[in-house]
This record gives sequence, C-alpha cells and structure tokens, in this order.
Amino acid sequence: MRLYPLLFLLLLIAAALAVLVGSGDLTDPELRDTFLKLRGYRLAAAFLAGAALAVGGVVVQGLFRNPLASPSVLGTTAGASFGGQVALLAYGLTGAGSSFIVPEMIVPIGCFVGALGALAVLLLFLRITHDLLALLLTGFVLSALFLSLSAFVTSVAQETWELGRAVVSFSLGSVSGTGPRQLSFALPLIGLALVASWFWGRSLDLLLSGEEEAQSMGANVGAARWWSAIWVSVLVAGAVSVGGNVGFVGLVVPHMLRPFAGTKHQRLIPAAALAGGIFLVSCDVVARLIPSRSEIPLGVVTGLIGAPLFLLLLIRLRRERAYA
Amino acid sequence: MRKGEGHLGLRARSLSVTLGGRRVLRDVDLEAHPGEVLALLGPNGAGKSTLLKALAGLLPYKGRVDIGGADLAPLSTRKRARRISYVPQRSLLQSALSVEEVVALGRYVHGGSFGGMSRGDKEAIDHALATAHADALRDRIFTQLSVGEQQRVLLARALASDAPILLLDEPTAALDVGEAMAVLRLIRTLAARKHTLIVVLHDLADARSTTDRALLLRDGCVVEQGDTRDVVSAEPIRAVYGVRLIENARIGFEPDSETPNPE
Repeated sequence: MRLYPLLFLLLLIAAALAVLVGSGDLTDPELRDTFLKLRGYRLAAAFLAGAALAVGGVVVQGLFRNPLASPSVLGTTAGASFGGQVALLAYGLTGAGSSFIVPEMIVPIGCFVGALGALAVLLLFLRITHDLLALLLTGFVLSALFLSLSAFVTSVAQETWELGRAVVSFSLGSVSGTGPRQLSFALPLIGLALVASWFWGRSLDLLLSGEEEAQSMGANVGAARWWSAIWVSVLVAGAVSVGGNVGFVGLVVPHMLRPFAGTKHQRLIPAAALAGGIFLVSCDVVARLIPSRSEIPLGVVTGLIGAPLFLLLLIRLRRERAYA
Repeated sequence: MRKGEGHLGLRARSLSVTLGGRRVLRDVDLEAHPGEVLALLGPNGAGKSTLLKALAGLLPYKGRVDIGGADLAPLSTRKRARRISYVPQRSLLQSALSVEEVVALGRYVHGGSFGGMSRGDKEAIDHALATAHADALRDRIFTQLSVGEQQRVLLARALASDAPILLLDEPTAALDVGEAMAVLRLIRTLAARKHTLIVVLHDLADARSTTDRALLLRDGCVVEQGDTRDVVSAEPIRAVYGVRLIENARIGFEPDSETPNPE
C-alpha cells in the first residue's frame, strides 16, 4: 500500500477512536455534544503536538546527522516546559493572574516565553561559535539548567496540594483540557514552522554529508543551522503549549518512517507530520483506555509505547543495516 | 561538457591561508585552464588539501581567486558552487540515500527551495551517471558501495552540478589498482570535454601518467610549477621528498582493452 493513503487511513481510524473512546456516555443526549466537543479539541491538540514533535525530530536528526537526536536536544523543550510551569505557579500564587491575559492562555504564553528565552541563549552561542558540537553542548546545558529550575518550581508548588498537582500533571504531558483558545494560538505557529521546516528540507539533505560537503554543494550552512534551531524551537513550544512535555514522539516517529518515506527531507517531513499526529492521537486513546483512578498521563503512555517500539526498530534496523 | 557556465579557467594570486594561528599556505600563485589537469603534489602536511579547500571557498583565505577573470570572493555559496565543484576524498554521508539521490544533491545549486526535479535536472543526473560509468549503480544504497564505486558516484555528483571547474582531493586514495585506473581515465575524459581539473595526488607515477601540469608544494610554499614531466623529475623530487627518482623503475599497468569499464 502506498504511504500516504495508508497514513490517511490510519489517521481516520485514530480520529474515530479518539472521538468514540472515553469514560463519558455518548448515548446521553444532554451531554453528548459537550463530550464530542471536548474530545474534538483533545484530538486536535494531540494531532498538532504529535505533528510538531515528529517534524522537530526529523529536522534535528538531519541537522546533527544523528538519528538519536530528539527535538529536546536544543534545550528549548525544557525551556518551554519551565516557562509553562512558572506561569502555572505565578497564576496559582497570585490567584487571579494578570487582567490582560485570559487565564487559560497563561500557560501557552509561558511556554513560548520559556522556549524563546532558551532559544535566545542558543542563538547567542551560535553567533560566538560556529561549531556544531558547541550547539549540541549548549542545548544539553540549557536542558540541564531548565530541568533543575523546573524541579525547583515543582518543589515550591508542593506547598499547596492543588497547585502541586497541576504542575506535576503539566510536566507529565496531557492534552485533556486543551481548549479552542490554546489551539488557535498554537495552530498558526506550528503550521508556519512546519511549512518553514519543509522549505529547509533541501539544505538538510545536503547537510547529511557533513557541513563541509554541504557547503561545497552550495548550501548556506550557517543559515540552515540558525533557521533550523528557530523553527524547531517554535515547533516544540507549540507542542508543549497544547500537550505539555511529551517525550519519545520526535525520536520514534522519524525512525519508523524512514524505511517507507526514505531519507529525503521534503518527502519525510509531511509524512512525519501525519505519522506524528497519528501516533500521539493513538497514545491519547490508549491513555483513556487503561483503567486507572485518574487518567494515565500522556507522556507516560508515549514512553511506555515508544521505548519498546524504538528497541524493536533498532533490532530491525541493525538487521537491515542499510538504515542504521 | 554539458552546457553550463561554459569553459572557465581558474587563477589564484598570492593565496595565503592561516589556520589556528599557523600559516598553512604562503603566497601561492596558480593557473588552471580548460581541458587541462593540474596536479597538486607534495609530502604530507605540505598544504595540498588546504589549497584545494581554499580554492573551493571552504576555508577563509587572503589573496585573490579568479574564475574566468571574475573574483570568486563576492559570490554567494550557491553561485560559487555552480562554477566550482569539490570532490572530497571520502564522503561523510551515512544515511541511506540511493546513488541517484546522492547525484541529485549536485543539482541543488540550480533548484529553488521546492522539491520537484525539472527535466533539465533529470538529464543532468543521467548524463553525470553515464559519464562516471555509475549508471548500473543508480538504485544501490551509496553507503553499501565499494570505495572505488563511491568515488565515481561523488564525481557524478560533482558533474551533475554542471560546474566547469572540478577540484578532486586524492581521488585514488584507498582504491585498488583497477578502481584507481578507472578514476584516472575518467579524469582524462573530463579534461577532453574541456573541464578544468585540479587534482591532489599522492602517487607521483599517477601524476606523471594523468596530469598535464603540476604544482609541487612544501611547507605551504610552491617549490616548483610547470609541466608535470619537469616537476616530477629528479631534482625537485629529491629536494622535496628526499628520494631519488628512477625512471621506469616500477611495474606499470594499463587498461585492458577486452575488459569493459567497471560498472
């Protein structure tokens, strides 16, 4: 079966399940519309976040020529996550928050501010040094820094039960409770970054041969690196703002696709957007299916499904060698 | 040569390169003409590869490099790559791209940001694959090829760009005698098609058999420059390498007329 018809079919199945599966009773005529609406938002949020994270994964894996890179290597994921947590904490502690911002928009805006802060540091270092390894190390240090800051926020938030719960639940990732405002904030940003990533696809193809060869073939390596960092940051900030910190999507989905979609980025990126969306929507369905007192966090499900899937892929790839 | 930038030669004047505070190349002058193969010779560390990379615009340099009389420095990366194509000794590519996809990368300089391939692109790729005798490898995965096959594909990638000037960094290193001979014959074919070729070579016998003119480097300076026969001769070779050159001392090889080109 051809790749795109298969992906669209899978998307249709996942979307149908996402609408039909859940604890609410759809036969109740009074509540049906509300349930359908909530599940629709949830479906959209999961799809957007999955698409953004998968494409972010494709771009950083191309940029670093490393199949083990995930969009979080740039440190902007941890930055976005920290920003979201600080926003939650500030809102919780001050009670009302700022009168300029609608309460449900506080977290998404916090995510973007956090991601932009991390990105600014990253780009500053890119200006000083032109070394790819330095970029990777800066991203690593930024991640470590923001993770410890996040841990601090989490510990402060523990002082009140409600706030502690909210901060922990956000950091584990969830698309439940995502509303139309968050979606309409994240959609244009993620959409723009997806298209922009596709445009850089040809440069990323050249970068697969290393920076020197890429430059000798006419690629503007500095610009490709600079803009890739920016668009990946926008993608993860958008994903975190609608889905919290969800791991493994950016790592697993590009790997699953390469044997079918090939390595060329302009073919891989649209396929990854679709497949990432399908993957996260399906994980969200699984999260609702697992019997539990409260719902299993989405980030836990992606890890539980993603990790064994990734190991299976590795074994298969080793066997085929070609895609190692 | 396919229609492209036309027949262009390359000229460098007082070219100097400093890497990490160390002067690696000092006031190098060179000229390369269409239809001619220029060899860059010298012991390890003499600055041959550095010179080649500077000419390709991959390293910052002082001095001036002209192509067809026009300064190379103000050109964008992409415009420069349309005129000069650089072939590394080995590619760092590790991803599972097919040979055809690798050669198609050479067309980047002519395309926009959109993915599609024009008829001109396809023709250039077919022509490049045929010239490099890599047609039969088209659907193979690049990383699974032998070193010699990879070298021919890298040459095809350079040819696909339609650049009139080709810079080759030790194209026969690590190749067996048959593979090396195929690459050297290809170099002569390209010269016959009016490409301008500058080739770093280690093997002085290969330089004598394949190149027209040579530039002998030591410690980043030009020691001798001229017809390869004169450069690879007793005096300069003794001065630079500390060895005595013995004419016709080694066993030689030539292509077997009954064996088809390797594919």
